[in-house]
Amino acid sequence: MLLDFDRLGPLRWVLLSVGAAVSLFLLLPVLFIVALSFGSSQWLLFPPPGWTLRWYSMLFSDPGWLDSLITSVELGLVVMVLSVVLGLFASLALTRGAFRGRALLKAFFLTPMVLPVVVLAVALYGFFLRIGLTGTLVGFVIGHLIIALPFSIIAISNSLESFDTALEDAALICGASPFEVKWRVTLPAIRLGVFAAAIFSFLASWDEVVVSIFMASPTLQTLPVRIWSTLRQDLTPVIAAASSLLVGLTVILMLLGLVLKRGKS
Amino acid sequence: MSAPFLQIQRLRKTYDQVVAIDHVSLDIKKGEFMTFLGPSGSGKSTTLYIVAGFQSPTEGRVLLDGKSLLSVAPNRRNIGMVFQRYTLFPHLTVGENVAFPLRVRRLPDAQVKSKVEQMLKLVHLADCRDRMPDQLSGGMQQRVAIARALAYDPPVLLMDEPLSALDKKLREELQTELRRIHQQTGVTILYVTHDQEEALRLSDRIAVFNKGRIEQVGSGEELYAKPASRFVASFIGNSNFLPVTLAGSNGASQAVFPNGKPVSAGGFDHALNAGDNGALMLRPEQIRIRAQPSEAAEGGLQVVVRDVTYLGDTMHYAVATPWEQEIAVRTSISSREPSLAIGARAWLEWEHESARVFAA
Repeated sequence: MLLDFDRLGPLRWVLLSVGAAVSLFLLLPVLFIVALSFGSSQWLLFPPPGWTLRWYSMLFSDPGWLDSLITSVELGLVVMVLSVVLGLFASLALTRGAFRGRALLKAFFLTPMVLPVVVLAVALYGFFLRIGLTGTLVGFVIGHLIIALPFSIIAISNSLESFDTALEDAALICGASPFEVKWRVTLPAIRLGVFAAAIFSFLASWDEVVVSIFMASPTLQTLPVRIWSTLRQDLTPVIAAASSLLVGLTVILMLLGLVLKRGKS
Repeated sequence: MSAPFLQIQRLRKTYDQVVAIDHVSLDIKKGEFMTFLGPSGSGKSTTLYIVAGFQSPTEGRVLLDGKSLLSVAPNRRNIGMVFQRYTLFPHLTVGENVAFPLRVRRLPDAQVKSKVEQMLKLVHLADCRDRMPDQLSGGMQQRVAIARALAYDPPVLLMDEPLSALDKKLREELQTELRRIHQQTGVTILYVTHDQEEALRLSDRIAVFNKGRIEQVGSGEELYAKPASRFVASFIGNSNFLPVTLAGSNGASQAVFPNGKPVSAGGFDHALNAGDNGALMLRPEQIRIRAQPSEAAEGGLQVVVRDVTYLGDTMHYAVATPWEQEIAVRTSISSREPSLAIGARAWLEWEHESARVFAA
């Protein structure tokens, strides 16, 4: 092709440096945080005068941090399961259903993605306050589910749309009951979409902070909320350690998603 | 002759106001290879899908061995089907694909294993048992699909244009395979295609579909030699249709060309009366072309040669009639007349028995 990279001559060095600069710009804050979490300076000096795992052991021995870490993981898993199950049923209806207003309904399902999160959070807060759901895990789950569901629906709908329904006909005529067809043919065929939905749903909950701040109580906080509230009181490298943990799991899940995608093609 | 095995009776299917098929009736014998041939939208696939159970007819019945099929859910009909698109389950190996219908029938493992082996041997793919479908060519995938559809010994195998996605050479290879499999298993096959050559090559009998109705049912030879309608004549083999006006009393038995020359034919459409306009069908290979008019031939038609093409084993002529209609003539190389060049005058002759007159 005319614009192939190795045909660009000197221009490619320009492109290369722009690319490197942008990557650095995006990565630097994360690298900083990770470096500081291992640094021995209590005042977050950079470059760190020495290296230590002290902040991590402080993080894991503080019941407050530990509680919020467990809350985050629990919440993420519950949201993940609900989001995948609901997303699967919603996607089946949205891709297979032959009813009026299907396109409208799909757009409606995806609105939480474009709605300003803070508006959603305030609305949920007002409503949940009245029915006593703020500060409860159920409140968190519902709030996060609203944010996670569009990701799940997009991932599953996409794989359902590229799935040939003739496969279902073939399975049916082979003698499989309609339920067996879905369970043994459709679901395995779209499993990559389902895995992607699970990963994105978990991550949507895992790094969610706005709705969480409104839902949180002093006894029930997620990890991002704890980072935010601790930061307002004092500056300790434990925050850097907690942040690194947050980033670490996110990166691992993203890589998992990539590996799954690679396996598909 | 045994009683019909599969009976399709007065099937009718309408979508909103559109009639997809109308009064389709057909009796199929056990072990027969029956092909539904027709252009797209002629109702052949709709009929097949009703037999499969994916669509239900507005009216009519389908009986298998005397018992009604329509009230049975498609997964309980025990019918085999091969589709136009590749429908192997992508997450299962070839062997597991063939085993699928046996597993949903909860057969014991040992039985499943031996049946899978037997079926893969039948389609000559015994070595591919542990491969994934996407590692196979299109032709191999369709062979696995045939193995899967036959694994549970269905009484009827439905095939919906299974070879249309393959290239010509592979298609012909699989047609031969299919004939062998049909002979080896004796399964009754309903086969849908729009390819007349494929239909002729494979079928015991062919049902020609047009506009939601069956125009004619018969062996390939019958359809070719005695087409019941102009549509069948034009769909199976090549034909010239020459305009004629019907003459004679009580029904028509004589026709006249536009230049006033009378002509007779082996068969006339019964609906035609004297004075009606008709079309005289002549197959290109049934016409002889001569440089001189022969005395004996009453049906000699004088023409002008427009084009001559050498095709190896045959000669192809395009000639113009006195009323400026171009007709195609094909003769064997041995009977060609060297003096027939472009622009030359020539005379056409044919056996009157082979010509047929249809409504124009």
